[in-house]
Amino acid sequence: MRLVTHNLLQCHVKGCDTNNFPLELSEIECESQETDFNPQFLRTMVPKLEWDALVRTAMKLGITTLPDKVPDTPIQELDEKFLRNLHTVLFETHIQQGKMTCPNCQHVYPIKDGIPNMLLNDNEV
Amino acid sequence: MSAMNKYLIQFAQSHEEFRLPELDSLAKLYNVSLKYNIQDYKKDSPFFIVEVASDEAATCLVKRAILIKNIYELWGSGETYDQVHAQVTDSNQTFKFIVKAFGSTCSAEYQLRVINSFSYLGFKGPIDLKNPQVLFSVMEDYGIELNAPLPPDYPCAIYFGRFIASGDRDLIQTYNVKKRNYIGNTTMDAELSLIMANQALAAPGKLVYDPFVGTGSFLVTCAQFGAYTLGSDIDGRQIRGQGNKSIKTNAQQYNVHGRVLDNLVFDICHHPWRENLWFDAIITDPPYGVRAGAKTLGRRHEKKSTKPKTTNELPAHERGNYYPPTKPYEMSEVLVDLLEFAARFLVVGGRLVYWLPTVVEEYTNEDIPKHPSMRLISNSEQTFGVWSRRLITMEKYRENVTGIYHATVNKDYKGLESIYQTGAGIGVGETRNSNGSKLINTNNNGDYIDQDDDQRKPGHYLFRQKYFSSKSQEKSKRE
Repeated sequence: MRLVTHNLLQCHVKGCDTNNFPLELSEIECESQETDFNPQFLRTMVPKLEWDALVRTAMKLGITTLPDKVPDTPIQELDEKFLRNLHTVLFETHIQQGKMTCPNCQHVYPIKDGIPNMLLNDNEV
Repeated sequence: MSAMNKYLIQFAQSHEEFRLPELDSLAKLYNVSLKYNIQDYKKDSPFFIVEVASDEAATCLVKRAILIKNIYELWGSGETYDQVHAQVTDSNQTFKFIVKAFGSTCSAEYQLRVINSFSYLGFKGPIDLKNPQVLFSVMEDYGIELNAPLPPDYPCAIYFGRFIASGDRDLIQTYNVKKRNYIGNTTMDAELSLIMANQALAAPGKLVYDPFVGTGSFLVTCAQFGAYTLGSDIDGRQIRGQGNKSIKTNAQQYNVHGRVLDNLVFDICHHPWRENLWFDAIITDPPYGVRAGAKTLGRRHEKKSTKPKTTNELPAHERGNYYPPTKPYEMSEVLVDLLEFAARFLVVGGRLVYWLPTVVEEYTNEDIPKHPSMRLISNSEQTFGVWSRRLITMEKYRENVTGIYHATVNKDYKGLESIYQTGAGIGVGETRNSNGSKLINTNNNGDYIDQDDDQRKPGHYLFRQKYFSSKSQEKSKRE
């Protein structure tokens, strides 16, 4: 699972609808895989991201290259250095194994071989 | 608006109901203003005259089309060569001439005669058969009469045009499922998967999602056209694949792995997508009849687990390939959920492209599910005799107001329920419609299954009846 996907997910246990994002990572094994840089797509993704959550999650993985805030410029003027850096974090960082825990209800979503299992238990739907 | 010029589209004779919707989608995608007269469109002819502003616009229109072979600048057309010649003008570039017949054949000698008939043009440029600057094509359409012993003596239409660009039918071979690393029994064939990507307006920088991803047929074709894709499925086994075969290895095979972002295991009824995540398109083939409802992941949640809400007797597996208990998911529920999801999670202008199975005899246009935020763009049928499936393309055309607008499905939608309804979602489904008179056996893919029981007879009987009645209709039409 790429880091970008983690930023799009929240806990969806029935009734768990506050403080259910971001899911906390633990026991993580990461891999880095190069992919093509696409500034156009990055620009469309920036407004969709929860930036604080991304920065915090990246920190947890030892990635400290992201600025605290998205640069205060129009999306189309985001510079290439910022975008390349973001590309590496979002699309080239793969979580292969680990756990995602809901900060609210403590539900654990496991990640195995890069595939997150977001299924709920019977009593959680 | 700039002046419009006439161009001739040469379609592939394949999935004829899908050809105009694909053309319209590509016009929308590339913002090409396109004019045509719908009355000119004939399913049994490859030729269709359209108007666009320029060669560039014409090229945009067809360059990734799956159901278009070529587009030509139209220099002349008519029922006879006299009519064609009367419209033709001049050129002085290097050129090449070809003559093709559709629904018939023509000898080299005849072709030469046709070419020479254009000699009055007095082209100043030299002939260049290898790298002509201009390729002229004479196309004779003899019509397609399947049962005729011999083609007619004269073409019903003749077109003369300058070649502009080809569609991208080679992609059908590239994505041929026979050559694909990982496939399953729900894998969609390459041609339709590619057409669907065009219907979804998949393009660079867009985010496309398949909520019933299966083996990921649509993720790779959308990624082919530059879109970034996400998928999910209740059945993690399909996503993981086996050994060295998975959605991931398919993405690598087609060199689109940078854009097939991730696949996740969950049920779209209970999804973890964060609010205000907007997809540019949702493209899917829902597994009608298989429910991903109640879930028990006992292994990891034993201490929290209360008694399961449903009693379902699928054995719980210990390993990571665990498939949760499921209950039947009514087809109308799938459709309502899908439309509600699309209305909420698509960007305005975003598209929902999905398959809807129908019983041919019972289908009416009223059976297409509706949502107040979504409008129907196209509805193309692929028939299999008694039943068919329809590729439905919808557009979210205005903001969804949560809690006010709801999807509606025709409650009398017998057609669907009578085709697809399965118990635990495994094996053969067999049901009757409300009057109990018809019965069709399918597996999860909707393929017919041979079954030696009495219940099959009505289905067969119906099929024979329908088959012969349609034959006799054709016959009476001809007479």
